Amino acid sequence: MAGSLRQSISDWIFRAASPETPPVTLVQRRIFILPTKMGYVYGGTLLILLLSSINYALSLGFVLTFLLMSMAGVAMLHTWRNLAHLRLRPGRCDPVFAGDVAHFGVTVETPSLTRFAIALRPREGDPVYTDIVAREPAMIAIPAQTRTRGLLRCGRLEVFTRYPVGLFHAWSYIDFDLKVLVYPRPDPAAGAPPRSGGNDVEEGIPVAGDDEFNMLRPYRAGDAPKLIAWKALAREQGLLTKEFNATAAAELWLEWGEAPGADVEARLCALTHWVLQAEEFGQAYGLRIPGVRIAPDRGDAHCRACLEALALFEMPR
Amino acid sequence: MSRLPAPAPLDVGNVMWLLVAMCFVVAPHVLRLPYWVGVFFGVVVGWRAWIAWAALRVPPRSLMYVVTAVAAVGTYMQYQRIGGREPGVTLLIVMASLKVLEMRTQREVVLAIYLGFFLVLTNFLFSQSIPLGLYMLVCVWVFIATLVGFNRIGSSPTISERLRPAGALLLQALPLMAAFFVLFPRVQGPLWALPQDARSGATGLSDTMTPGNIANLIKSDAVAFRVRFEGERPPFSRMYWRGPVMTEFDGQTWRMSGVGMMGRLHFARAANPVRYAITMEPNNKNWLFALDAPAATPPDSYPLVDLQLRSHRPVDQRLRYELTSYLDYRYDEGSGPQMLRYASRFDETRNPRTVALGRSWARELKDPHRIIERAITLYNREFTYTLEPPVLDKANPYDDFLFNTKRGFCEHYAGSFALLMRAAGVPARVVTGYQGGELNPFNGELIVRQADAHAWTEVWLADAGWTRVDPTAVVSPLRVEGGVNAALGPIGATSVMMAADRLGILANIHFGWQYLNSQWDQWIVGYNLEKQRQFFSDLGFRDVDWRTLAFWLMAAILLVGGAVTLGLLFRERQPRAEASLIAWNRFCSKLGAAGVVRAPHEGPLDFLARVQRAHPGLSAEAQEITRRYVEARYGAGATREELRELATRVREFRATTA
Repeated sequence: MAGSLRQSISDWIFRAASPETPPVTLVQRRIFILPTKMGYVYGGTLLILLLSSINYALSLGFVLTFLLMSMAGVAMLHTWRNLAHLRLRPGRCDPVFAGDVAHFGVTVETPSLTRFAIALRPREGDPVYTDIVAREPAMIAIPAQTRTRGLLRCGRLEVFTRYPVGLFHAWSYIDFDLKVLVYPRPDPAAGAPPRSGGNDVEEGIPVAGDDEFNMLRPYRAGDAPKLIAWKALAREQGLLTKEFNATAAAELWLEWGEAPGADVEARLCALTHWVLQAEEFGQAYGLRIPGVRIAPDRGDAHCRACLEALALFEMPR
Repeated sequence: MSRLPAPAPLDVGNVMWLLVAMCFVVAPHVLRLPYWVGVFFGVVVGWRAWIAWAALRVPPRSLMYVVTAVAAVGTYMQYQRIGGREPGVTLLIVMASLKVLEMRTQREVVLAIYLGFFLVLTNFLFSQSIPLGLYMLVCVWVFIATLVGFNRIGSSPTISERLRPAGALLLQALPLMAAFFVLFPRVQGPLWALPQDARSGATGLSDTMTPGNIANLIKSDAVAFRVRFEGERPPFSRMYWRGPVMTEFDGQTWRMSGVGMMGRLHFARAANPVRYAITMEPNNKNWLFALDAPAATPPDSYPLVDLQLRSHRPVDQRLRYELTSYLDYRYDEGSGPQMLRYASRFDETRNPRTVALGRSWARELKDPHRIIERAITLYNREFTYTLEPPVLDKANPYDDFLFNTKRGFCEHYAGSFALLMRAAGVPARVVTGYQGGELNPFNGELIVRQADAHAWTEVWLADAGWTRVDPTAVVSPLRVEGGVNAALGPIGATSVMMAADRLGILANIHFGWQYLNSQWDQWIVGYNLEKQRQFFSDLGFRDVDWRTLAFWLMAAILLVGGAVTLGLLFRERQPRAEASLIAWNRFCSKLGAAGVVRAPHEGPLDFLARVQRAHPGLSAEAQEITRRYVEARYGAGATREELRELATRVREFRATTA
């Protein structure tokens, strides 16, 4: 309760105009700095050292206390400097399957000085640390555990550092509106995709009204005899099969209605598995789910389009 | 389905650094504390190192409680108490080593480092010398470097990547530290009661004198106090620094007695005043030292009837006071019948031969002056001055000394002389203190060491009051003229080296080091409320209050903070693009001299193509320079190092070799 209140207060105080247009440079006024918990303990330590020095009239105790105190002051500036003027850009955010770890990519570069132990932390999750060398932009991948399909947003990122001595926490917030597309988890139990087209052909159905002659293709074993282009055979063009548009003889339609599963998510998982299977077999396939129809095709882009459609099925975009 | 990784265990290198830092800071203590503390610490650190090395689990907490309890009991059994300097430091070391042993998380490591800072402070309880101070600075450096290592999350730093940032932090902290040291308002006195042995400097005169105890003191090089004379310095032979006066005698030991206090010092006659300032090392005792005899009392002190200065509180920190003394005086106070009776008492059953001798002189000579002369003659004829006198008979030590061994140190002479005088009916007492000192030619300061400890006597004469008689001076005049070294030959390593040093170089180094130490002691170690006031009044500011100090502190913080920030930003600043242009123009003019002139409209890449056609031999280098220039000026920019590299390449470029 207190935690969430603090979170919302912090959100309000550090609200930024988001999302931001990259690249973002961490200018002075974007950086906040406060002592860490160990920084406060350090302060307590200094107080005890000071009181002891006064009590025992230890001049070198004063020297020690003031040296450590001044060191903390200088360290504050160093911590701030370690973060200041960093340039951040959104990086790669590759899609993953639900249940896998997604990675939000951020590219960080420093204008000249090497930075140490720069951390990026999503709102929930552990920080990712990295050193950044001048002229070598660091690609930082922030892991996030996915659970459900859809669009996983990274949200506001905290970029912070405690280097060099961990007494101060300098931080800034960035929001690039990073998103990872999370595909439904493929369900191997769904088996191989049903060869729906084959069944149609065996029953001799050129789909009603769609029997428009499209092209001739070489005969494959199993083609119905009435589809064989006898005239072409007569012309000694070899054994050809007439292909009609709607019958899509060797085409695979992955149909919503045919996917096994108790609920929507289960069907999506089955369809995802089929898409991957079909792509692996190198077969052209189409996807038909309520509201979406993707014409049969093959290849990486097509596969991703299908998976995206499944991932975002009935999701607010 | 990979899960996110769990937090990593403590890095082995980092743990080793912490252990090394701990060893550094505990090392000086090992020499001072009982041996088992060092053994315990060594075992625990070794154990922790092994745990880190072999990636074992740290011992369970229950074992820790047992070890802690055992260590606490051990400490108590060693000292029979828990409070105080040595037991306190012992406990702290034990606690710190156990903390190191059980640490699992980063936070516990940081706490261990903070404990290390306390261990640094405890070292200063024993010594605040320059070498120890520098050594502790190194310790702090290593601790900060350890802290830096632990904060380099995600990469493991090299040795210089730890030490350099830590060194930079400390260096940049120095100015502010100095400002705080000078300006931070000082408070007088302890905030809570100190244990008796809180501080070093426990060596010194004691409130009793038995044959043998000053001789032990003589072997100590420790400084008792420093003196700065205003005007002319009296000769060494007259530098009797008066300390505890002992009137009570039980046949073996002389003791300070409860003689009365006095309101003011009163002299029947006083001449030859000497003004000087004494800076006394803490001795945890109530007495102050003064050149015989003090004309007045310093603040917070009072005189006793026997001309002894006592301070109201024990001198537990360095104390500076100014005094005037009369070298020639007549002092009659405290010579009432009761006091004189008191100064004539002795136990007749002990040292019977000495008593008999004194009584025979009284019958024979009657006049105190002649009695004194007789005693002096006795010493002069048969006695030897030595630092290593034979052990004396416990019951009748002065009989043994006067009639058998005849070899002794100042306390033998003073004690036996006073007893002889009392037996002869002349009131007498023993005065302890210091005699002479070492003059530092660099600053004219006189350093009086424990080695200068001395004991002499005072007798009461009706026509002269209390009069100093130093029987040691009779036996060994050199002791009083030239110090204990002259009388006994060199004592200790320093003195031996000094004696061998005929060219004077060693002496110069010795005195230079003395001078440095004296300045350090006065201005750094002895920087207290008074010194702070003195410092500001020397600068021309009178009556500085805490508000002024606070104002200056703020100013210092802003100044130093601003300077450091500017320094950091300056290093951060993007190198100017013009640097690349300058290099490029130079490159073009070199080629121009070789016959390939760049047209004003010609871009760098076009120009490069033309150069490569004209001088294929230069192709590679010209291409590299052009690439760097284009990258710096039109591409992603360049760092300082890259611009320097570009300039170097252009400088070394030879167009004529084509």
